[in-house]
Amino acid sequence: MSPLSAPSDPSPGGTAAQRRTAGARHPLARFLLRRVAVALLLGLGITLVTFVLTNLVPGDPVTANLGQRALSDPAIVAQFRAEHGLDKPLPQQYLTYLGGLLRGDLGMSQQSHRPVLTDLAELVPSTIELAGAAITVSLVAGVAFGLVAALRRDRLPDHLLRLVALVGISVPTFWLALLAFYLFFFRLRIAPGSGRIAPDMSAPPQVTGLFTVDSALAGQWDVFASAVGHLMTPALVLAAYTIGLLMRFTRSAVLEVLGQDHVRAARAKGLPGRTVLTRYVLRSALVPIITVAGLAFGSLLSGTVLVESVFARPGIGQYAYKSATTLDLPAVMGVGLVVGAVYVLINLVVDVLYGVIDPRVRLS
Amino acid sequence: MATPSRRRAAWQVRAALLPVLLAGALTLAACGGGGTPAQSGQSGQSGTAAKTLVVDASFTLKTADPGRNYEPTGLIIGKALYDTLLTFEGSDVTKPVPSLAESYEQSEDGKVLTLKLRRGATFSDGSPVTADDVVFSLNRVRDMKGNPSFLLDGVQVATTDETTVTLTSKIANPALPFILPNPALGILNSKVVKANGGTGDESDKAETYLNGASAGSGPYTLESFNAQSQVVLTANPKYWGPDKPTYTKVVLRNVESATQKLNVQRGDSQVALDLSGDQIKTVGGDYTKVQTASANVLFLLANQDTAVSKVTTNPKIVEAIRKGIDYQGLLELAGEGSVQAPGVIPTMLLGALTPDQAVTRDVEGAKAAVAASGVSSPSVTLEYPSDLTLQGLSFQPIAERIQANLKEVGITVDLAPAPVATALDNYRNGKEELGLWYWGPDYPDPTDYLVFLPGKTVGLRAGWKAGADKELEALGDKAATTIGDDARKPLYGEIQTRLNATGPFVPLIQPGQNIVTVPSVTGLEFHPVWTVDVAALGAK
Repeated sequence: MSPLSAPSDPSPGGTAAQRRTAGARHPLARFLLRRVAVALLLGLGITLVTFVLTNLVPGDPVTANLGQRALSDPAIVAQFRAEHGLDKPLPQQYLTYLGGLLRGDLGMSQQSHRPVLTDLAELVPSTIELAGAAITVSLVAGVAFGLVAALRRDRLPDHLLRLVALVGISVPTFWLALLAFYLFFFRLRIAPGSGRIAPDMSAPPQVTGLFTVDSALAGQWDVFASAVGHLMTPALVLAAYTIGLLMRFTRSAVLEVLGQDHVRAARAKGLPGRTVLTRYVLRSALVPIITVAGLAFGSLLSGTVLVESVFARPGIGQYAYKSATTLDLPAVMGVGLVVGAVYVLINLVVDVLYGVIDPRVRLS
Repeated sequence: MATPSRRRAAWQVRAALLPVLLAGALTLAACGGGGTPAQSGQSGQSGTAAKTLVVDASFTLKTADPGRNYEPTGLIIGKALYDTLLTFEGSDVTKPVPSLAESYEQSEDGKVLTLKLRRGATFSDGSPVTADDVVFSLNRVRDMKGNPSFLLDGVQVATTDETTVTLTSKIANPALPFILPNPALGILNSKVVKANGGTGDESDKAETYLNGASAGSGPYTLESFNAQSQVVLTANPKYWGPDKPTYTKVVLRNVESATQKLNVQRGDSQVALDLSGDQIKTVGGDYTKVQTASANVLFLLANQDTAVSKVTTNPKIVEAIRKGIDYQGLLELAGEGSVQAPGVIPTMLLGALTPDQAVTRDVEGAKAAVAASGVSSPSVTLEYPSDLTLQGLSFQPIAERIQANLKEVGITVDLAPAPVATALDNYRNGKEELGLWYWGPDYPDPTDYLVFLPGKTVGLRAGWKAGADKELEALGDKAATTIGDDARKPLYGEIQTRLNATGPFVPLIQPGQNIVTVPSVTGLEFHPVWTVDVAALGAK
């Protein structure tokens, strides 16, 4: 262990043993417990906020869901209200909803007449597949580009990459999606068209709901190739913004670390460049990178709405839009809950990663 | 010191870039691989064996249960899965023709419709279509209290023998033969539906089953259903009809209109249903274009309730609005295929006015009407749904054009757009001073348009209460119960002429329906009820 890094490293031996004897009081465990408790509270907050907000919207779900003629029949309207609990006072509706949540029941969608949970179970895997591919691409490309730009500061690669980042950040996702679809699918003919797989193929037997994973599990390699192919362009489009963001933050973080004393000292001691880069530079730069990556994931989720619609991929994006415009409250709240849960989870992961990377966070 | 470290760092960078390069290579490889199915789909189309038809549509879809189905996309599916008693030939909606019923007869008082069932029709499981199935299916739609229930309001369904069904209405119901072809009234296999939760009343739970499988006698069966993304139909091997469908599989995908255009041009789909007038202009080549007026009528309503407006209740102001609008300008805005709506009844229906009977712009007349109204510098608020598009046409530019037109004649229009879910509330409750909306036919019969009269659904939305125009109302009552198309036609002409002269509605345009198919697809006709009959499509 380099003496230079000692102050920030956990001392081995003594304290670790103490921590072990303390059992649940292990700082990381305590930290995790606290974070999970906060996460649960946040979840409750999300349900309350979405419930209040969706009910504040002027407009009546009955009007939005029933046809012109059905609306003029009081019997149909009354039945719709009763069926969806809309005849009860608001606080009671909220409590009913919360009670359902505890039993894992998200209510019935007024649009699809199905449990919201069934709808989400069908759509969320598609969005996860897309967002997962996009975040992977962004992390790999964003960090690599940022590193290159920092190490080649003010030279041609740096200028080029900064331009790429600028374009990725400033171009609207919707436009980029149309452009990419036009270019790769229509003009160059190297990308497949709409949907998750080719239209004449059948979905692989459902295990995870992720077509790439399920088709591989089933050994349907033509479906796998089609699923991966259909994933690539939308994932790249979706990643464009986060790549730009991550690249810029990585660049500045690395530049900052490169100028710090411990890096210079490590170099002066003759440590190989590889070691300096991985152990000192990247490690110190990781904290801001992870922060940005966590935040960027949020923008990824909102970006999926547009990308899913251009590439005609089913997903929670389209579902959210359709539910919102038809005031399908249970569905809107279901989506809100999923997105909220993802945010909370990402924050939790980011916080834990801080603790892993920088022990000062854990100890404080 | 700096130099060697930089060199090493460069190596590091190359190592770090490796995954990126790999990912890039994978992208290309995968894209290349993914491109193949699209091409195979194209070649499959010209082959003689299994034919797949891919249809791109902007989905308005909730369910595949015909008894609950009332959305345009749902009707395309319903038409393919379920046969109805009567149907329409091609796109002609002025004459119902036999389907599961081989003949029908209406009593002289218009209250009883007797239908003789065809023998030999079978459901997709091979069992025969019986009179009991008909009774169960129609009663189910009426009693389940869903969106299409009103189609059979007050209609009693009974069998007189094994192959005869009678539909009895309390009052004369001349529209019934025009209502029966609606895919919502598709005939279900009652045994299958009952075995899967179907009770035929409010407690009916068969929808879940019917969203996963079909139980009809139509040319197709349901393979898979997802209301958000895709519906797959497979040809029914036991189809009883004389014409077997050409395509063994039909994939209906939810695709946004800009993407629809690229897909069909590239051969990734064979039919694009929802192109806008502008989009279709830029589709060149051999594609078959079907451009025709849709049955949706865009109209303005001027509220007649003094509590809502002091301005639009003035008949001279309504006259000024009617004369002040540049209808030709609106048509240019709406693009290819659109036509001016001569009255509230769209051009393809029985009783529609002819184009020469439509209102024309008269700026001077409009200015004179404003002057005669006694209202100094009249100002009105125009409400409309901001997020609704009709055949690719958005309401916003139409509203802006109306604002500009009326400014020329001295009426100030304040635009008040709102999301449809919100805007519908004011519209439905009759609180809009001036509203921009549309009416699509529930069934292709002029009786559906009597809702525009005083005291009726749309009339009330314009604050037009019963008794506001007694002569017109009497005319409406007469038309509603008159039997025989020759007798009905002049009545509806008179009603609309009167509406155009003194009513609170200003019919504007019928936006065009623009459909594009690849050259190999034949036989496409736009249908005002079910948009397109996929089973009627052929291949070259």
